[in-house]
Amino acid sequence: MIANYGYIGLFLIAVILFTLLMVTIPIALRFLRIVPDNPNPVKNSIFECGMETIGKTWVQFNFHYYFYVLIFLALDVLVIFLYPWAVSLRQLGISGLITILILITIIFVGYIYAWRKKVLEWK
Amino acid sequence: MITPQFIWLIFLLPVFSFIIISFFVRPFVKAESRITGYILITALFTVLALSIWTLLSVMAAPHHEIPVPDINWVVIEGGVTIHLGLIADSLTAVMLIVVTLVSLMVQIYSQGYMHGDPGYHRYFAWMSLFTASMLGLVLADNLLFLFVFWELVGLCSYLLIGFWFHKPEAADAAKKAFIVTRLGDFGFLAGILLLYLNTSTFDIHELHKLAITGALASAILTWSAIGIFAGAVGKSAQFPLHIWLPDAMEGPTPVSALIHAATMVAAGVFLVARMFPLFEHSTEALTTVAVIGGVTAIFAASMGLVMNDIKRVLAYSTVSQLGYMMLGLGVGGVAIGIFHLFNHAFFKALLFLGAGSINHATGTFDMRLMGGLRRVMPWTYATFVIASLSIAGIWPLSGFWSKDEIVVSTASQPVLFSLAMITVFMTSFYMFRAVFITFGGDYRGGSQNEHGGHGSRPHESPKVMVTPMVVLAILAVVSGLWNVTGHFGTFMGHGQTHSFTYGFFHPFTQPLPWISLILAGLGILLAYAMYSKQWLSPEKTGNFFKPLYTLFYRKYWFDELYENIIVRVALVKGLFGSLKQFDNQVVDGAINGVARGTIAGGRAVRRAQTGQLQLYGLFIGIGILALVLVLYFAG
Amino acid sequence: MNLALFIPELTLAVFALLVILLDLFTEQKRLLVQVSVSGLVISAGVTLAMWGESFPAIFNNMLAVDNFALFFKLLLLGVAFLVILASISYTQKFARFQGEYYALVLLSTLGMMLMAATTDLIAIYIALELTSLSLYALVGFLKDSKSTESSLKYLLLGAIASVVLLYGMALIFGFTGQTQLGEIARVIQAMSPQTILSFPALTLGLVMLITGFGFKIAAVPFQMWVPDVYEGAPTPITAYLSVASKAAGFALILRVFFSAFGLPEWLSLNWGIIFAFLAVIGMTLGNIAAIPQTNIKRMLGYSSIAQAGYLLVGMAAMGFSPVVDILGRSSIIFFLTSYALTNMGAFIAIIAISNKLDSDLIDDYTGIGKRAPLVALALTLCLVSLIGMPPAAGFMAKFYIFSAAVRSNLLWLVIIAVINSVISAYYYLRVVNVMWLGKAASEEKISSPGTLRLGLVLSCLGVLLLGIIPGFAMLLAEFAARIFVF
Repeated sequence: MIANYGYIGLFLIAVILFTLLMVTIPIALRFLRIVPDNPNPVKNSIFECGMETIGKTWVQFNFHYYFYVLIFLALDVLVIFLYPWAVSLRQLGISGLITILILITIIFVGYIYAWRKKVLEWK
Repeated sequence: MITPQFIWLIFLLPVFSFIIISFFVRPFVKAESRITGYILITALFTVLALSIWTLLSVMAAPHHEIPVPDINWVVIEGGVTIHLGLIADSLTAVMLIVVTLVSLMVQIYSQGYMHGDPGYHRYFAWMSLFTASMLGLVLADNLLFLFVFWELVGLCSYLLIGFWFHKPEAADAAKKAFIVTRLGDFGFLAGILLLYLNTSTFDIHELHKLAITGALASAILTWSAIGIFAGAVGKSAQFPLHIWLPDAMEGPTPVSALIHAATMVAAGVFLVARMFPLFEHSTEALTTVAVIGGVTAIFAASMGLVMNDIKRVLAYSTVSQLGYMMLGLGVGGVAIGIFHLFNHAFFKALLFLGAGSINHATGTFDMRLMGGLRRVMPWTYATFVIASLSIAGIWPLSGFWSKDEIVVSTASQPVLFSLAMITVFMTSFYMFRAVFITFGGDYRGGSQNEHGGHGSRPHESPKVMVTPMVVLAILAVVSGLWNVTGHFGTFMGHGQTHSFTYGFFHPFTQPLPWISLILAGLGILLAYAMYSKQWLSPEKTGNFFKPLYTLFYRKYWFDELYENIIVRVALVKGLFGSLKQFDNQVVDGAINGVARGTIAGGRAVRRAQTGQLQLYGLFIGIGILALVLVLYFAG
Repeated sequence: MNLALFIPELTLAVFALLVILLDLFTEQKRLLVQVSVSGLVISAGVTLAMWGESFPAIFNNMLAVDNFALFFKLLLLGVAFLVILASISYTQKFARFQGEYYALVLLSTLGMMLMAATTDLIAIYIALELTSLSLYALVGFLKDSKSTESSLKYLLLGAIASVVLLYGMALIFGFTGQTQLGEIARVIQAMSPQTILSFPALTLGLVMLITGFGFKIAAVPFQMWVPDVYEGAPTPITAYLSVASKAAGFALILRVFFSAFGLPEWLSLNWGIIFAFLAVIGMTLGNIAAIPQTNIKRMLGYSSIAQAGYLLVGMAAMGFSPVVDILGRSSIIFFLTSYALTNMGAFIAIIAISNKLDSDLIDDYTGIGKRAPLVALALTLCLVSLIGMPPAAGFMAKFYIFSAAVRSNLLWLVIIAVINSVISAYYYLRVVNVMWLGKAASEEKISSPGTLRLGLVLSCLGVLLLGIIPGFAMLLAEFAARIFVF
């Protein structure tokens, strides 16, 4: 039994060593002065596709986005289910049709719910 | 032939009535509605029909018994099995008729009597429960369930005596009844356990068989029989535990009629009859029954002579008549004792209903405030007199037939015989004393204070109350005719039958019935002389027998004896005092120690419950680890 | 596949959607109650019609339609009915979201019904999540700080538990290559004990399953959420959590451990020991922690932890003799039924009293016996049943479970359980004592709405019936448990 775990243990040790190695290499190179040390603002900035960041990361955004995301997610899931169903529509036959109609109904009820609760209106 | 399902229904219908009333009607229906009464009456009507059917079937059945298959109550495969079963024999059949008939009459009567009472639903709920338990008591086929129902009727009695719990006397009387009967029940329980330890069965049939074949050692038989009899003494208010019954009259009068006259108090007599084979095979036990019965009969009758409260007169009369039944069982056998129970139920219930009717009209139970009711309450008067004649044992009313049999069977024992004879005289005297004071002479005003006072003029009660009284009056006349031919005796298992005319006139060819008839007549005459015609002044007679009068009126100082000596001195100072010491010193110390320990433990656990989520999550992890460890070490 | 066998669940789903839709278009909130109740009744009716017969499992062996499942479905539907009855007067506190409330109750009932029926690890997980997600929302329904906090705690801890459960399922799947319980059992029984023992995956998986389920049934040490959540949640939901969630959890445990890991016997002995261990610490900790509580909902929370401990005694008994002992299984079912009725009764009484008092503190219950005698009587009956005294149902329930344990040679466990019962009498009777003997602060009578009374009457009647004639219910329980005979 232990023998089986021995390989995992070896693997773990190898992983840890490798990680440590990867961290130490740049430090070692810098330390050995192989890499030159001349910093400038662009170099020190956080990699951001070349754009300057504006403001803090902890900004508040409108809670309504959250609702949109939820509705989007529900519809997204629906589509995920619709694709494979559409591909094999002929094989699944009438029972497949009913099943997918049930799913659509459920999502539709959710959509009506969101609509009546005025989620879709932007104030 | 009745099927077992219907016999079960006899017991279950009142149970359903109780459930419907207490769980569905009482929480949801206004107190003014009369529906609860009708529910119970309908149930009882059906039950009565079923009981009559049962009686007829039992009469037709071989050995006068219908076999009812057991139902498994608790079954654990390969372990304990407790059966639930019914007996349907002649004794049960007769008791069923008594209980359902009287209960039905009393419930109809209560529709009028309890009308407008704020506790109306509660009343009928308890009445249903009582009827159900009483039916269960007479139907039970093993001592364990019999005991459960025995306690249940006791509980109902407690609840109904204290029905008007806002009255302190009622509450006290309820407590007294409960505690006093409990004393007897200890004996009963001990008897049951003694039997169980020696036979390892609760089944009544098996116990009978064991007693009859002599498989039980005679000492065990005697002691268990006496233990069972102790239960009967408590419930049937026999000497020396008779003190609770007169006080129990604080309950509503229909309750007194049903529970404290016709059925529950007779349960003691029934119990002795039910276990009769045990008593039969133990001379000591049977003699105890006879002696206690005889003594109670005369002892209670003597106190009944001087009471002024009409219900108390009736209460002492009940105690005395129960003593008679015990005497009948002790000297004569099941048939004789139960036959008196059967007849007594009807006329005594009638007497109580009559007292209730009078109370409804005058607002009091004190006979000194009544008088002259003969003219305004003709129905009550007529039925009350019929019942009084019956209890006094006047030929050919029902009381005569059963009392005569008891007297005849005591003939060989001079002491018991003379007790019985004196009681006959006393009974007719106190009953007619009550009749003459209540109904004769002129109206003395009544009272406005108590239940049912309706203004100055007394009047006859409504039809709903009079009708049951008339039915019971008819029964008080005819119920005794059953055994004129000796059929009741053979039904119960002994005696022989003969023709009706022979049985009807036979007593006049014998000396004993003549003596008892003459004594009863003398009693009536004396009452007439003292309370109607005033030839003898009651006060002067009372003063002449002053010591005796005081002795009777003070109830032989039994209440004081119990109250002062036993309760105060022995129990409170002695037993409770030492218990308290023990409690303070030992128990409290131990309990406090344990309590302190647990509470401290609880605090520690609560401290862990900090409300911090991380900690809770951590606990789940620790839990998994612990389980793995458990598995590792113990698995 | 026969969709007709899925009608009870489908009905509930349809009615839940209907309630949501109705709530959007109508102002009459009474209608919602009627629709929800009729959904429950129809579902129960269909379930009842299926009782007694044997049907094949549906959805590729994922959902069983056996008497065991049907029994629990009926029980859960009954509890949901009582919860809705209890909620009618309570929902006035959050008038805005009534539709969601009832719909979520129906959906969680649906989830629990699925839990009682699933025979596949994946379906189990889905059923559990359906139940839990509905319950997380319901717990937070009061929207005050306490309720929200408890909801969040429940959600996060529930997530941890479900992760652990998933991990356990993964291990078992990895070990056996199957997700269907029957198939898992076949694979395990085909292996030699040495093979099983040389890999800790199976036993570790078992421990993790127990952890995940133990969270649902509030077994110590996975019970930390219970007091906080019980206190914070709306009282009907607390009742629902303590009763239905526990019943469904036990149904799941019974089925999983029986059909997948019942044999070989040394294996069941292993999980039997775990359950015995959990039973001991559950009973003891629950009872001891309940003693110093001052809030009655919190006290009942700890009490329900202790009750789960008694139930685990039955599980242990089952593990110790899985083949012969049908009593162990049926006694757990009986206990759950009796506990469901009892706890529902107790919580309905608490709703009736606390609504008027606006307090859950035990000290404020002083003298309730005079102010609301019927409700106090009902609460007394339920507490007596929780202690396990005759003539209430709790007595018979404990009697059956303990005798099952004695027959599996677990006398030491029974002794601990009995001692615990005695300890528990202390805090239950304290409430009774306060209610009847204390002097009330005011003489004003407390009246309760008819729906609460009906719920109270039904549950008390059930408690008494089970206590006085247990034979019939026990017969049903044995019938339901019969599917587990090897």
